[in-house]
Amino acid sequence: MSEYTVINSRAVRVDTPDKATGKAVFIDDMTMPGMLYGALLQSPLAHARIVSIDTSKARNLPGVKSVVTAEEAGLVKYGVSPARYDETLFCHEKVRYVGDDIAAVAAVDMETALKAVSLIDVVYEELPAVFTIEEAMKAGAPVLHDNYPGNICAEVHSEFGNVEEALANCDLIKTTTFKNKRQDAAFIEPQGCIASYDLSGNLTLYSSTQVPHYVQRTVAMVLKLPVGKVRVIKPYVGAGFGIKASANPLELSACLLSMKTGKPVKMNYNREQVFQYGRARHQFTHTMTTGVKKDGTIIALKHLCYLDGGAYSSFGIATVYYAGSLLGGPYKLPNMKYDGYRIYNNKPACGAMRGHGGVAARACWEQQLDMIAEELKISPIELRLKNMMVAGDVTCNDLNMSSLGMKECIEAVKDGSEWTAKKGKLPKGKGIGMACGFFVSGAGYPIYRSDTFHGTVIVKLTEDGGTALVYTASAEIGQGSDTTFAMIAAEALGIRLEDVRLESGDTDFGVDLGAYSSRQTLMTGHAVKEAAEDARRQVLEVLAKELNVPIENMDIKNSLVEFKQENVDFTGLRTRYSKEHRGWNDNPADGPLTFREASRIAYLSKGSIVGTGKYKPPELGGKYKGATVGTSPAYGCSAQIAEVTVDEETGQITVDRITDAHDCGLAINVTSVEGQMEGSVSMGLGEALFEEVKFDNKGHVINADLAEYKIPTMLDMPQIKTIIVESNEPNGPFGAKEVGEGAIMPTIPAILNAVYDAIGVRIHELPMTPERVYLAIQEAKKGKTS
Amino acid sequence: MKKLINLTINDQHYEVAVEPNQTLVDLLRYQLGLTGTKKGCEMGDCGSCTVILDGKAVNSCLVLALQADGRSIQTIEGLETGEGLHPVQEAFVEKGAIQCGFCSSGMILSAKNLLDQKSNPSETEIRRALAGNLCRCTGYQKIIEAVKSVPQAN
Amino acid sequence: MLLPKFDFHEPKTLNEACQILAAYGVKAKLIAGGTDLMVNMKKKILSPEQVISISRIGELKKLDTSGDSIRIGSCFTVADLSTSDAIQKHLSALGEGAKNLGTPLIRNLATIGGNLGSARPAADLPPALMAYGAQVVLNSLSGERTLSLDKFFLGPGFTAAKPDEILSEIQIPSLPPHSGAGYINIGVRKGQDCNLVNVASFIALDTDGTIRNARIVMGCVGPIPLRASSAEKMLIGQKPESALFARAGAAASLDSTPIDDFRGTAAYKRDMVGVLTRRTLDIAFREATHRQ
Repeated sequence: MSEYTVINSRAVRVDTPDKATGKAVFIDDMTMPGMLYGALLQSPLAHARIVSIDTSKARNLPGVKSVVTAEEAGLVKYGVSPARYDETLFCHEKVRYVGDDIAAVAAVDMETALKAVSLIDVVYEELPAVFTIEEAMKAGAPVLHDNYPGNICAEVHSEFGNVEEALANCDLIKTTTFKNKRQDAAFIEPQGCIASYDLSGNLTLYSSTQVPHYVQRTVAMVLKLPVGKVRVIKPYVGAGFGIKASANPLELSACLLSMKTGKPVKMNYNREQVFQYGRARHQFTHTMTTGVKKDGTIIALKHLCYLDGGAYSSFGIATVYYAGSLLGGPYKLPNMKYDGYRIYNNKPACGAMRGHGGVAARACWEQQLDMIAEELKISPIELRLKNMMVAGDVTCNDLNMSSLGMKECIEAVKDGSEWTAKKGKLPKGKGIGMACGFFVSGAGYPIYRSDTFHGTVIVKLTEDGGTALVYTASAEIGQGSDTTFAMIAAEALGIRLEDVRLESGDTDFGVDLGAYSSRQTLMTGHAVKEAAEDARRQVLEVLAKELNVPIENMDIKNSLVEFKQENVDFTGLRTRYSKEHRGWNDNPADGPLTFREASRIAYLSKGSIVGTGKYKPPELGGKYKGATVGTSPAYGCSAQIAEVTVDEETGQITVDRITDAHDCGLAINVTSVEGQMEGSVSMGLGEALFEEVKFDNKGHVINADLAEYKIPTMLDMPQIKTIIVESNEPNGPFGAKEVGEGAIMPTIPAILNAVYDAIGVRIHELPMTPERVYLAIQEAKKGKTS
Repeated sequence: MKKLINLTINDQHYEVAVEPNQTLVDLLRYQLGLTGTKKGCEMGDCGSCTVILDGKAVNSCLVLALQADGRSIQTIEGLETGEGLHPVQEAFVEKGAIQCGFCSSGMILSAKNLLDQKSNPSETEIRRALAGNLCRCTGYQKIIEAVKSVPQAN
Repeated sequence: MLLPKFDFHEPKTLNEACQILAAYGVKAKLIAGGTDLMVNMKKKILSPEQVISISRIGELKKLDTSGDSIRIGSCFTVADLSTSDAIQKHLSALGEGAKNLGTPLIRNLATIGGNLGSARPAADLPPALMAYGAQVVLNSLSGERTLSLDKFFLGPGFTAAKPDEILSEIQIPSLPPHSGAGYINIGVRKGQDCNLVNVASFIALDTDGTIRNARIVMGCVGPIPLRASSAEKMLIGQKPESALFARAGAAASLDSTPIDDFRGTAAYKRDMVGVLTRRTLDIAFREATHRQ
């Protein structure tokens, strides 16, 4: 039985009935009067100088209303982090990857727009291109960005403690190299937007985005508009997973075209363009050296990482930091050295994707810990528990584990999967493996250096009727945040969930950094709670005065006012309410004072009751370079156990079962937390077994569709048993913290470790396609017989 | 040149002029305002454009509008009744089987089509029947629970 | 995504279809389920000026098991193949191929004729059909001819059908007693996958239990589905057993001609031919011992 009235329960989401009936409006479902259709001219070459662009034929095509290139767009540089603004809306001197944007057209229909694009004559001078880290770093390699010699986009060097000294004192040292592959988020709804510039110079951009706020700022900055005249509104979004967490060329082009034509302009990516745009998970090559004592105590980690970054920075400057910093926990680790390099090359840029830089690093390290456990003859679970941090511990790189239910998660999955009965007792070809992971509950600092609040919320009570309107610029992208915030508002106000109406995703409602780094439940949640409590206090203040009852003796619960003292006579207020509602047949007659009546009385006294809330984390983290990346007010954590069957003759892996425990602090909406856990597992499973973006030798994505880029289907997913652990995070609203990304961390290594358990072969490269597994088995056999 | 076709959508008769190279999904979404059917890939890989065509669940992005002449189609808009949600829709909502919602129209129609042909399907049968509908949000777990929970006549 | 512009025809009879096709020849493409042609048109690989739909021609949708051979109309859908009791009973390997083709949504549109006519090396139905000794019936204004499926495929996307011919029917001669077949396909994931390797095996046993006849067909490992001739020869007259099937698998591997491509290496495909040959021979043998 929960101590809460609304939160910490299973709630039916406020948005799903519309989604179940096809009523929910996504960007491509929208049209506007006079709307034009936009199309992009994108580079067919991976690296080339632009000699000339002739748009005359395109401009003269009947039905074409505007053609824009860098000449019209200007050359304001943008990107994700101000430290690495390295993109312009359109290429002006050269193109850097197949798909780089050169021009855009707006026309009366899509057919005309595409025809016009084909009529734009571009003369290229092809340049030698580089497609791998090795090629890009070679002496004399063509340089993508002049101010980044050697194509080194970013490099990180950090050391905590003294790693060499510590390694010298270790009993066992293990070194492995691990590689994943570039991934695609494969959200089912491609990016799309409609931009509408009106006669007063106000620009409204509707977009399938995770971050209306960052998009608003980027549009204003790049197109040189006053930011107060730019409004970004997100309709329902068909997921994003990080790729939609920054402004994209579609959005900027559509805005520019609308400014030029004075008409709304719609633009979409088709699925192939989604792949060619990229901005998803980097390919990482991790080399880790871990030193332990023979009793299993982890002493030191030396870590070298190369990121295949693609043509632009995107989130990459944060990624290269996260790849190192997120190994500071959840185990006690006094000595950690990290050297990371993000390398440019002529492929689409990589960015942040669910779990950001932490996923591949975690996979490498959790596999290595299993290898260490095996060599020391300690159980993998025991090794984890032995080294586990507890709530209140701080990592060597200053990440504060204000709550950490890691031990509870491990024990939950151990019991839930019947680990003890299975480990070491399964027949050949079947295996069981475990892993742990954790992630930030919101980045400690905004992407742009600022004192801004991370979220502001307004809760306005209707002047009549007792409904609470919640306005938040946060982004519901499928994770359930709208419902979570409605529940928090209801709980904090003391009213029923059905008495809340929430609107979100509109920059006019306030500031919200959006749905990325798993921040919204904790950060926006705090702001919602504060705003709701503010509204509640205003209502109770009026009641206190009207009824001469101290505020402390009043409470609101289930949309009813409760008094902690006897004999409070509120008939005066009730009569007043009835008189204002003559002819209505549902005026409260007997029973407790309702919130409906109380809020009406409060309005009559004060005018509109508006509560405001805001949230900004305290100063977090250490004083070293890059300290901000990895800091967070809280960390969600997770343990998973995977059970697999491997067909050794073909290399095919079947994941039979996943047991997953996640510490989310406190589950606001239990069903949504489970949903995020299950979705994370499916994404991790896909990355572990199938997913890889493939290129030809000219920089084109070969498998730019959902048939050849293979995400798990219903037939590939096992049953997932989810267990929620609640450690009550002191820095979270009602104790809540994240689930959306922490939950993906253990999946890949749990499967890696289970596969080893099944066939006795370690695989250090993803994806574990049947061919890769088969080859590894053959190699191991050869090794045994030679 | 456009051709006039007659078709029944959600028990309602339509007479529309269509181009030969117009797909059924584009006809539904842009000409008839039935935007519940979604476009995720346009290649028949994701299933978000699923409609029920003469009793069979198909990718409407692979069907020409002209091929639908004289035929009967059910889209997501046709599932609700005067009394409210269809039991499959109700189950999806109750069980939390919808997150971003973009695959949901197609998923619900495929599920409904399965249940129309087989009552009380096993988990394996559900997974097989819905294998053409990709979801990136849910891991399919609650979708299967939802389909299993739909009340069935015995 | 826009389709190219074309004129569309929907003949009601096979004869009418042949007339239209004769008029346009190479400028026309046939469409039935559209699962192949629509994708190719969207990818701008094909831009036919004329598209002729044969999916409303009733006579092309029949399944006739009454005579000496099983006759399947070319527009019989893959979904119907996968659920047909008759197919499951008589042509189980074909049924297996049908069950594993694409997705349930694709199967509701795709046709057996389309899966043959599109001549994709990785297609799911040709191996089993060839293993069963199927023939295709090709119709044009000049008449009708029957061609063994062994001679139908000429290369990826190319068949022996002339520009004015329509594949109307697939005929499978009735199977001898004590015969059986098996089909296995593997890819990367379990759902909706383009095959990496697929194999169908057919064996017929003599009254003394030895193998009288064997056909092993490998997909994905050549420009067209290939017969594993040396593996077949090795089986004739032998008593079926695991070691023999393993040797046949090894021989089939050497009969295959896979290439390295973005889906997988030739070496892996070759090894998988061996595994799948052995496994499908097992399935075929089990079926053969049960079939009277």
